[in-house]
Amino acid sequence: MLQIKNLKAKIDNKEILKGLNLDIKPGEVHAIMGPNGSGKSTLSNVLSGKKGYSVSGEVKYLNENLLDLEIEERAHKGIFLAFQYPLEIPGVNTNIFLKTSLNAIKKAKGEKELDAIEFLKLVKQKAAELKFDEKILSRQLNVGFSGGEKKKNEILQMSILNPKLSILDETDSGLDIDALKTVSEGVNALRSKDSSFLIITHYQRLLDYIEPDFVHVLINGQIVKSGGSELALELESKGYESLS
Amino acid sequence: MIDQLKTDFDKTITNLKLSNKGIEIRRKSLNQFSENGFPNKRIEDWKFSDLNQIISSNIKGLNFYSNLTSDKVDESIFINKFKHNKIVFINGVISSIDLSHEDETKVSLSKNLDLDEDRKEVNPLISLNNAFTSSYIRVIVHENYSFNNPLIIYNISNNNLKSTALNLRTDIVLEKNTNLKLITLFDDNSENNFINIIQNFDIAQDAILKSYKIDHKKNSNIKYFYNNINLGKNSISENFIFSTGSKFIKNEVNCNLNDQFSSAFINGIINLTDTQHHEIKTNINHLAENTKSYQLIKSVLNDNSKGIYQGKIFVDAKAQKTNGYQLSKALLLNENTEFNGKPELEIYADDVKCSHGSTSGNLDEDSVFYLMSRGLSRQQSKELLINGFLMDAVEKITDFEIKDLIKDLMGIAE
Repeated sequence: MLQIKNLKAKIDNKEILKGLNLDIKPGEVHAIMGPNGSGKSTLSNVLSGKKGYSVSGEVKYLNENLLDLEIEERAHKGIFLAFQYPLEIPGVNTNIFLKTSLNAIKKAKGEKELDAIEFLKLVKQKAAELKFDEKILSRQLNVGFSGGEKKKNEILQMSILNPKLSILDETDSGLDIDALKTVSEGVNALRSKDSSFLIITHYQRLLDYIEPDFVHVLINGQIVKSGGSELALELESKGYESLS
Repeated sequence: MIDQLKTDFDKTITNLKLSNKGIEIRRKSLNQFSENGFPNKRIEDWKFSDLNQIISSNIKGLNFYSNLTSDKVDESIFINKFKHNKIVFINGVISSIDLSHEDETKVSLSKNLDLDEDRKEVNPLISLNNAFTSSYIRVIVHENYSFNNPLIIYNISNNNLKSTALNLRTDIVLEKNTNLKLITLFDDNSENNFINIIQNFDIAQDAILKSYKIDHKKNSNIKYFYNNINLGKNSISENFIFSTGSKFIKNEVNCNLNDQFSSAFINGIINLTDTQHHEIKTNINHLAENTKSYQLIKSVLNDNSKGIYQGKIFVDAKAQKTNGYQLSKALLLNENTEFNGKPELEIYADDVKCSHGSTSGNLDEDSVFYLMSRGLSRQQSKELLINGFLMDAVEKITDFEIKDLIKDLMGIAE
């Protein structure tokens, strides 16, 4: 699904990613753990196409050159980034945003767009699964949402858009234990043999709920160690310093 | 211009069949205007909009006598979203009046009035209007009556318009405990004219006016739209300015909170392209205790356009417990645009709450990225963000029908 070879990324002439390699196959869940400033968020930004980075190396996604695609084309082809800090968009109704987004992706895929009634039915069902108060969806996008509501809203978007590759950027930060469980259940419900996940996190905690197939340690712009889910437990007890 | 003014003035007064006193009042106004001419940037209130220069570079052969032949109304331009009363001006001439949704004993309407008193002339344009206005109408809503449906004043212009300058005037009187929703809608089909409109509102105790001014259709006209609002005890004036259509328009609102517990709301949006130049200028005068004012203006500037908001809050020494608020936010979408915000507070009372704020900036690229990462194109993302930005002010409209109308005009689908 995704093959990253020797990926380097600079911002303001500072090199953040220094030759990163990663291979994600359909159906796999990969976790990337690393200390602050190791390049975790840069990786998720570069994969979803955020401007401002000078990037080199190769990223193949479903046999296409991912780096050649525009931000929205990546979304159309099934890449989803759950933001670490979802943005507040004043004046934009959450439901209208969700519908615009879903239909933009459906249109790009050549599928039939949903009308208002079909959409509401879908969103109601997904919101209920995530224990997300649907009243919130008639409010302005993320405006006045609590930290937990913002993160749940990201997962709701993910479950509505049904992506092939989901990148979760520190989705666990700012969540209480109940919200963490609900969010994890939402993610687990989307796991299938065709969809893959890249989970970026500081802590092992989230991985108690979403069990990864692989864990990678990112330090100073490179993956320094990879292993199975047991690696996360090892990091939790020994810290990152033992690896750097 | 002076000779043209005199000739056109003589034609106007002959045509209007005015009383001697009426002529005298108009002549005084004419002299007032002749002495001053159009306001220019040396006048503080006009420093961001040099009307004299704008008129001379946009209008060739300025003249003031408007022929009074009436035209047929093109009904396709009427709003069809809701039932409403209508007053239709075509090229400054009243073409039709329809108040059929109301109790006719409760509403009076008179037209083509002589000016029977000296009006306070706060600037030369009001003098010009006084001298030349040909279709001066007055609507009176009698005590304890609430309009069933909104009243829409359609101001239509087309190429049959013979003069290059047009002066219109409407007076609205809301007696005690009355209620009116008014929409003033422009439909400009003429080109390169100067349109000068005055609306006077006298709002008595417990009365509520909701006044929405819509300049939506793109046109090459130059406009000055002056509102003077007098508020009595416990009365409310809600104003919304939709400013997107004309080449140039200055919306000026002078609002006098004359008695206790009266409140004034002025909200609006400016959304411009090309070389459009729009200004909103407000003077809110808190003249009694416990009065309240609120203003929110949102501007979006594209291409080479220019936006201005000058908002003044004056608090008289006896106007204790005043609550005054104003906020202006502007989005400048490229570096050739210009926005000038000038908040002014002049406060002579000591127990008041007044605040103002003004920001201008670019579209937030992180927000664009967020929306694009959900599959929206850059253009779709920008539109969503811009409309969201403007919606903040639109949401202040308390009438749902009219809010929906405004959203429709903005192209926002639910």
